[in-house]
Amino acid sequence: MRLHPLTSLAAAGSTAIMTTAAASLPLSLAVIAAVAGLSLAGGVERRMLAAAAGILVPLVASLFFLHGLFFPEGSVVLAHWGPARVTVEGLQFALERSAQLSAAVLVLLLCSFTISVPDLVAALSARGVHARFAFVLASTLTLLPAITTRLARIRQAQEARGLVITRGVFRRMAAFRWQAVPLVLSLVEEAGTRAAALEARGFGATGPRTSYREVTDPPFQRRLRMVLLLAAAAAVALRLWQPTAGA
Amino acid sequence: MAERSTPALAAGIETFVYPGETEPVLAGVELSLAAGTLTGVLGGSGSGKSTLGRLLAGWLLPGAGGALGGFLDLGGTRLLFTGKAADPRINPGSWGRVVGFVPQDSAAALSTVRETVAEELAFGLENAGVERAVMADAVRRTASLIGLAHLLDKAPETLSGGQLRRLAIGCAVISGPAVLVMDEPFASLDRAGAESLADLVRDLVKGGTAVVVLSQRVDGLLLDADTWLLLTGGTIAVTGTPAEVTAAGVLKAAGVISPRPAPGSSSVPPVPCCPDPSDPVLAAQVPVDAVPSPPALELRNVSFTYGRSKRHRFFRTGAAAAAPVLHGLSLSVGKGEIVAVTGANGAGKSTLLRHLNGLLQPTAGSVLVNGRTIGGQPAGRVSGEVGLLFQQPRDQLFERTVEREVRFGLDRHRRRPAAHGGGTGRHDGAEATAVHSALAAVGLENHSGRHPAELPASHQRLLALATVLAGRPSVLALDEPTVALDGHGLATLNSVVRSAAAEGTAVVVVTHDLEYARSIAHRLVHLDSGRLLPLAV
Repeated sequence: MRLHPLTSLAAAGSTAIMTTAAASLPLSLAVIAAVAGLSLAGGVERRMLAAAAGILVPLVASLFFLHGLFFPEGSVVLAHWGPARVTVEGLQFALERSAQLSAAVLVLLLCSFTISVPDLVAALSARGVHARFAFVLASTLTLLPAITTRLARIRQAQEARGLVITRGVFRRMAAFRWQAVPLVLSLVEEAGTRAAALEARGFGATGPRTSYREVTDPPFQRRLRMVLLLAAAAAVALRLWQPTAGA
Repeated sequence: MAERSTPALAAGIETFVYPGETEPVLAGVELSLAAGTLTGVLGGSGSGKSTLGRLLAGWLLPGAGGALGGFLDLGGTRLLFTGKAADPRINPGSWGRVVGFVPQDSAAALSTVRETVAEELAFGLENAGVERAVMADAVRRTASLIGLAHLLDKAPETLSGGQLRRLAIGCAVISGPAVLVMDEPFASLDRAGAESLADLVRDLVKGGTAVVVLSQRVDGLLLDADTWLLLTGGTIAVTGTPAEVTAAGVLKAAGVISPRPAPGSSSVPPVPCCPDPSDPVLAAQVPVDAVPSPPALELRNVSFTYGRSKRHRFFRTGAAAAAPVLHGLSLSVGKGEIVAVTGANGAGKSTLLRHLNGLLQPTAGSVLVNGRTIGGQPAGRVSGEVGLLFQQPRDQLFERTVEREVRFGLDRHRRRPAAHGGGTGRHDGAEATAVHSALAAVGLENHSGRHPAELPASHQRLLALATVLAGRPSVLALDEPTVALDGHGLATLNSVVRSAAAEGTAVVVVTHDLEYARSIAHRLVHLDSGRLLPLAV
């Protein structure tokens, strides 16, 4: 079954909200496992891995650094250096928060890598969403792949001129400092050209629009979206009602 | 080609000045485009062609895009501009329905958020609120006109350069504009692609469209144009029929490349090919009295297939194997030899070139530079010996100024030996000299403070060439170096390539332009189905 883009968005969004609200380690781990399985099935595991590493490694490292070393409530001390104490509770807390954060980030990443952007734009336009907003949303979702392609191009140009980049994620990350400024400048430059092209093709017109693409939206998926949104709202309500649940 | 009538579009540009500039980029340009006519706007790099084209097409708006003094007349409605705030405003969407534009870089005309060729074609109609049934009809009609009917469900980003240009033309003509402006539409197209594009344009003209082709080269279609208009330094130097403009004898001085190669124009006569009977492709042209030394560049049975990385194969076993781009290919290039690799668009020429400096690693076989294999070495390390000119300058240029652009490479090549001791002051001086002499070799020494993106296309190409030359590599690999060059640029390229070869640099030129290949190379090879075949010079 092909998911309507709004169903994918609703599923990803509500899963992220529910996982965050529940703050339960088993649930977070289950979501992470499910995302990993779906990434493999969808053939996007390599892109997911690269993007997830870029976003999550620094976040998870900082969580472990903060809570692993400084957790005032911790009682079972494993090691200590001056004011810094490694406690079992601290590590446990850092693990839970990391899993929770990873689950939310991964599910949203998966959505952005697998959603059909043209379907999404068509679906939004059909619902009367302003074309510019639909385009901005679509561009945001396609930004990461576009940046990756552009980055690879700049990196190749620099390698061809003597920048030595050996294999490995960390080496590439270190080399990124050479590519950051050219990357931003080239994206800005391209945006200017693109804007002229879009305007000349009537993108700025204010009248009614039509859509060439037809996106089917079966009633079952409409109902599913409602259920997902209600479930997310319920999870948030429950969390506010019982602030300690799951923590 | 057709009877002249009321102009579909006319312009009288007294001056046009870009924001922040004082000198006008266009001055005293008048033109009138009648329905069913073909106009060639000719000129060298930096003559103002692209600015004129974008201004006519509503891609560059008077006001925000610059100060225009003069008028634009669209289908009888005249808009007067004085360069002041009270000037009329052009609605680019409404203008674009009457005047279609195909930019030099066809990909820039696409919306980037449409999944298929059909949807990309329909984008303009969607914005105009055209009914779906009418849209579907228009998409079908346009697709068959531009010869993409069989590719309607393909993703635009998978199209070849020639197909992409056709799509851009389709996007521009689907709403039936009265005027079509095309910027260098024939650049980088092979002969077959150029001929079919010329047929398409002839059909449009026959159907009543006023077509304007901006070009720095006159051949094929442009020879049939009704009017030529030669721009130099932003003003019209000559206008008239092709015969009249040619008779004025100013095309060459303006940097416009003319159709026939002037006999005897090459200062170095091509060296006759004398292939080794045992393996004609492998043989390098080694002078008879030379001391035997390894060839500067050698490819041994190189094969390459995209998407067959040696790592991460676990989840890809089910995927269909892609066809090999290079197929057990061998080539040897001696010091000081110029070898041209020809082939149609999409034959794998650029892929072959990327193997020479290690940006791509062969799936089988090996690449040797000066007798040493470069297998497994990062491209950055090979780049000191092999300089690669990319097909698109915008893929090669990334710095903020022309000077920094050339220095980037040098900086890196010198840093490695310097890391083992040695001051940097001496290197800075040597670097500055190398930067200056590389820029001087391509005639850009007076542009060192400018931003590369501000340069006209021909100068960007030459700048990219300077970045390669500055490192003084022993192998020069040039990917379609003639594309985007005007007559002056072409002359510079020829002199640079010949003097590099004379100093012992091995040169590999990849080009779709057989005429150019014959004029420059000692030896020609043809890439077809992943294999190299010798070709007579």
